[in-house]
Amino acid sequence: MDAVWPIGLYFVLVVLLIGAMLVGSYVLGQRHDDRATGSPYEGGIVSEGSARVRFSARYYLIAMFFVVFDLEAVFIFSWAVAAKEVGWPGYWEIVIFIGVLVATLAYLWRLGALDWSGEPRRRREGKAMPQKL
Amino acid sequence: MYHLLWLIPALPFAGAFVLIVFGPRMADAAVKIIGPGTIALSAILSILMMGQFLTAPPPDHVYVENLWSWMNVAGFHPHVSLYLDALSMLMTLVVCFVAFLIHWYSTEFMEGDEGYSRFFAYMNLFVASMLILLLGANLLLLFLGWEGVGLCSYLLIGFWYTDPVNGRAARKAFIVTRVGDTAFIIGLFLLFTHLGTLNIQELMRRAVQEWPVGSLLPVAAGFLLLGGAVGKSAQLPLQTWLPDAMAGPTPTSALIHAATMVTAGVYLIARTHVLFTLAPAAMLAVAIVGAATLILAGFSALTQEDIKRILAYSTISQIGYMFLALGVGAWSAAIFHFMSHAFFKALLFLGAGIVINACHHEHSIFRMGGLRKQLPVTFWTFLIAGCALAGLPVITAGFYSKGLIIFDTEASAHGSMTLWVLAVVGVLLTSLYTFRMIFVAFFGDAKTAVGHKPRSAMKIPCIVLAVLSICGGFVETPRFLGDSHFFTGFLHSALPGVVLGTNPAMAELASELWVTLAFVVGLVVAYFLYIRNRSAVEALARPAVSRALHSFWHSDWAMDWLYDCVFVRPVMWFARVDKSDFVDSFYDGVAYLSESFYRGLRTTENGRIRWYAAGIVAGSLIFVAIVLFL
Amino acid sequence: MSATGWFTLLPLFILGGASIAVMIAVAIRRSHALAVGLTLIGLALAFASLWVVAPETPRQVTALLIVDSYALFYMGLVIASTFAIVLLSHAYFERHEGNPEELYVLLLVAALGSAVLVASSNFISFFLGLEILSIALYALNAYLHTRRFPLEAGIKYLILAASSAAFLLFGMALIYAELGTMDFARIREMLTASPGASQVILLAGSALIITGFGFKLALVPFHLWTPDIYQGAPAPVAAFVATVSKGAMFALLLRYFYWSGSHHFGAVFLVFTVIAIASMVAGNILAMMQSNVKRVLAYSSIAHMGYVLVAFQAGGRLAVEAVTFYLVAYFITTIGAFGVVTMLSNSEREADEIADYRGLFWRRPVLASVFTAMLLSLAGIPVTAGFVAKFYVIDAGASSAIWLLVFVLIVSSVFGLYYYLRIVVAMYSGLHEEAAAPSSSLLPALSAGGGFVLAVLTILLVWVGVYPATLLQIIHSTVGRAL
Repeated sequence: MDAVWPIGLYFVLVVLLIGAMLVGSYVLGQRHDDRATGSPYEGGIVSEGSARVRFSARYYLIAMFFVVFDLEAVFIFSWAVAAKEVGWPGYWEIVIFIGVLVATLAYLWRLGALDWSGEPRRRREGKAMPQKL
Repeated sequence: MYHLLWLIPALPFAGAFVLIVFGPRMADAAVKIIGPGTIALSAILSILMMGQFLTAPPPDHVYVENLWSWMNVAGFHPHVSLYLDALSMLMTLVVCFVAFLIHWYSTEFMEGDEGYSRFFAYMNLFVASMLILLLGANLLLLFLGWEGVGLCSYLLIGFWYTDPVNGRAARKAFIVTRVGDTAFIIGLFLLFTHLGTLNIQELMRRAVQEWPVGSLLPVAAGFLLLGGAVGKSAQLPLQTWLPDAMAGPTPTSALIHAATMVTAGVYLIARTHVLFTLAPAAMLAVAIVGAATLILAGFSALTQEDIKRILAYSTISQIGYMFLALGVGAWSAAIFHFMSHAFFKALLFLGAGIVINACHHEHSIFRMGGLRKQLPVTFWTFLIAGCALAGLPVITAGFYSKGLIIFDTEASAHGSMTLWVLAVVGVLLTSLYTFRMIFVAFFGDAKTAVGHKPRSAMKIPCIVLAVLSICGGFVETPRFLGDSHFFTGFLHSALPGVVLGTNPAMAELASELWVTLAFVVGLVVAYFLYIRNRSAVEALARPAVSRALHSFWHSDWAMDWLYDCVFVRPVMWFARVDKSDFVDSFYDGVAYLSESFYRGLRTTENGRIRWYAAGIVAGSLIFVAIVLFL
Repeated sequence: MSATGWFTLLPLFILGGASIAVMIAVAIRRSHALAVGLTLIGLALAFASLWVVAPETPRQVTALLIVDSYALFYMGLVIASTFAIVLLSHAYFERHEGNPEELYVLLLVAALGSAVLVASSNFISFFLGLEILSIALYALNAYLHTRRFPLEAGIKYLILAASSAAFLLFGMALIYAELGTMDFARIREMLTASPGASQVILLAGSALIITGFGFKLALVPFHLWTPDIYQGAPAPVAAFVATVSKGAMFALLLRYFYWSGSHHFGAVFLVFTVIAIASMVAGNILAMMQSNVKRVLAYSSIAHMGYVLVAFQAGGRLAVEAVTFYLVAYFITTIGAFGVVTMLSNSEREADEIADYRGLFWRRPVLASVFTAMLLSLAGIPVTAGFVAKFYVIDAGASSAIWLLVFVLIVSSVFGLYYYLRIVVAMYSGLHEEAAAPSSSLLPALSAGGGFVLAVLTILLVWVGVYPATLLQIIHSTVGRAL
């Protein structure tokens, strides 16, 4: 237990500090309720429209693909580092892994998910967008 | 061959299943094939099996088929197994065969009814339950069939459920037999707790080993089983449901009376006869119940005018003979009478169905009359069946079976002269009411124009049954008439022969002559009263005494009134008075409590994800706290 | 790590391969029938491969997976159930607009995750299998993403499953930190070998792992998500969540706690007792006055998992068999019940209100009878599989003398009877005039595949109820032998 007490003290201090900040600002701070108090820019610029703008879903798509394939790359690197040690079983494993990735890529490509510019191919053919993605 | 035994109950059951599931969408023609067809297959199988049983019987004349065991827990391992011996073989054969004829008949009888497939589904289920009852190797399976039979009788009696009267009759049948069932199930528990098995044969073996003759336990068990038998077989004091059960379609009545339901009690006692021999008091009770029932029901039958009710009381009375035979230890005589009764009673009901249809659903025999000429086939077959019922000497089956019972009643070691006299009086009554019915309905002037005439599907079963009502008796004849003992010989492996007393008071011939005399007297009296001199009946009925007697008998010895006063009203009164007692408030409290629990718990399901997540966190914290601090 | 070692993973390879094959097939040609056909072929091959693999078992493959007869039995259960659910999904999604094909990819992946779970012998494979299963389920729940409830179900499941997984991981980490191993069997050795290990940390770790299990099995108090997810998810997916995902998790629960020996901690036993009682009581009471059939099934599944826990608490070989038997009966019944809901749902909405079932018998006698059979089995009425299963659970409980649990089980089952019979009564009430009721719009034509599934399930239900010996024999010779 002896080794733990600084952490405990730290924890207590954090709680106290934050509590003091919140309570202090609550007690000392001024309060007013004017016309513009609730608006985003109290400084004077009147905001216009809703902040909830719809972004095209393709932004997220691209971001997602990047994360997914980037992460897969990490696995491949880690295999490459240990390629000698893991031997043939490791080789076959990475072949299967890359195979699955290729299949996925083919699937996405075929769906038109990588069709960045213009209308997706599916829609041009008069078909509905794929459900997923 | 024997390994096909399971098919005999399975086929009607499968038929019932198919009809229940697909029936409403089936064409009537298909229903006609599936309903009677499955029963026909069972009948053929049982005939073939009977043939093999006669030519190459299984070892010890017993065949047991273990199908599977349902569960095996703590010594309680009911096997689903079938038990075939001479007794169950014979009963199965009769049930299948008669049921098939009734089904065949029904294909025409029920034509145009909107519940056509439903009817056959119930009938098939009825037969299947009865076959399970007969073939079950343990009392649990027997009980399953027993309850199945009860359920189907309820469904069929209330078949035309749109009329509340029928519904009430169905309920009555169900509730009254339930009284007997309760006794039966208590008897089952008694046997199981004391002998530790439900297998019937094992039960009998252990009973003989462990219980001395006349000790308390077998007597108690015997009385409880008798209670069950009395309920199902409509014997005193639980016979009141059977006349009301006529509310069902006529083929149903035929099936209930001839092949299924009411004979279940007879079978139960015959199956457990070892137990009854250990309990002389219970056996005596069986004999007394039988004798009393046969007399009381005979008198009631005399006063009825509804043709089906006459037949119903005659069934009660004839089953009374079977009980009498069982009570004096004449086991195979009871089964013999069961067989001949199955033939002629089925025939009587089928004939009654034709007559009722022909007379535009008229049930009263006094509004029929003169049907002899318009329905010749029906008349002759009905007459044959009536003669068999009344016991026309030498040629009919009823004479031989009833004669054997009456002789054994006196000659058996358990028998007595009093019972014999009652049985002979019963013959007189039977003959009287049977010929009253025949003379009034078929002779004299026509009172209703005959409408619907039966076609072949209704006539052929009648003719077959008529032949059997005559020939069926020749398998067992007394010494002076061929001395054939084929029937008792066949049953000997399952049911021991009757133990004769040391010095019989009279010879078999004398007994038979008395029976014949009683028959003739009944016939002659009926002839004089209902053909020669109708005014004599009216003269007889005029005095106040006979009017009172008539209404007393007509209402079945005022049994319904008695039960109404003794049981129904007090219970209803008590229920009214006790409508809101504290016992109820306990159950209300449980309901209220669980409802408020529900309302309390429901607030936790508020659909908010942060609340749900908080639930997970709180749960984890609680459990961590439990494992750390407890 | 010999060649045959890999060979025993054949069922997993086939499941994974099938999902990729279906995905490529979808990319080449979008056809519902093709996707379903390929999926079914894949599942059938995987099922058949169990027998190919069986002679090689038991075998530890890498440090992560063990293929023994226990794992094979549960894989078979998972694959067969998925097969039935795929057929039901075909019936369900055939009536919906949109692209149903990817659903089968996800179902196959979820089945793969479940199969990994039942074969895992290590925390790593445990977590991998769990995530493969969960991630597929997020998407499956929200598959009809244009509708409100499925989307809500998907999001809720995602957030809650992720947070419960965090607890699970933390629990695993605590145990690893203390014992230095992630292998179940090694944990037991370490426990006995190093008595100096901190009980506090081990117990806290076990409690947190229970959180992870409790969430997936929807045990009280981790059950709150269940009704919302069941109600929102498409009916076949709800069937999958209710059966395959829970069954695989329970199989793992048995293996983990029996192998690691954590079950023998008094405190862990106590926690499970509390959970079991709370689940049985809360599940049954919450379902009582519910008007939504899918929510009723959700609450009833909570209670059923409580019942299974009673058998689990009993411990020993009898308990393993009782649990497995119960799960099989529960699978049959639950898939059947959701199957009926599936069959009655149309493209507009699901048939999930009790009002939709009013007078069903007069409109759809066969379907109503099947549903009745399923509900009676859930209630544990004799001659159904549910009765025999409950009987064995009570038997297991009684033989270990955990009377409190057995008592609660019996009493709460009585409550259960009430709400099952409420639905049954609704189906048979209201004679013919109800036949023309507005809900008669919920009468899509029966599909052949769905009808086949329901027929088979009903037959199984009665068969297991009347003749349980075959199933017991199978369980005895596979599951009973392995643990």
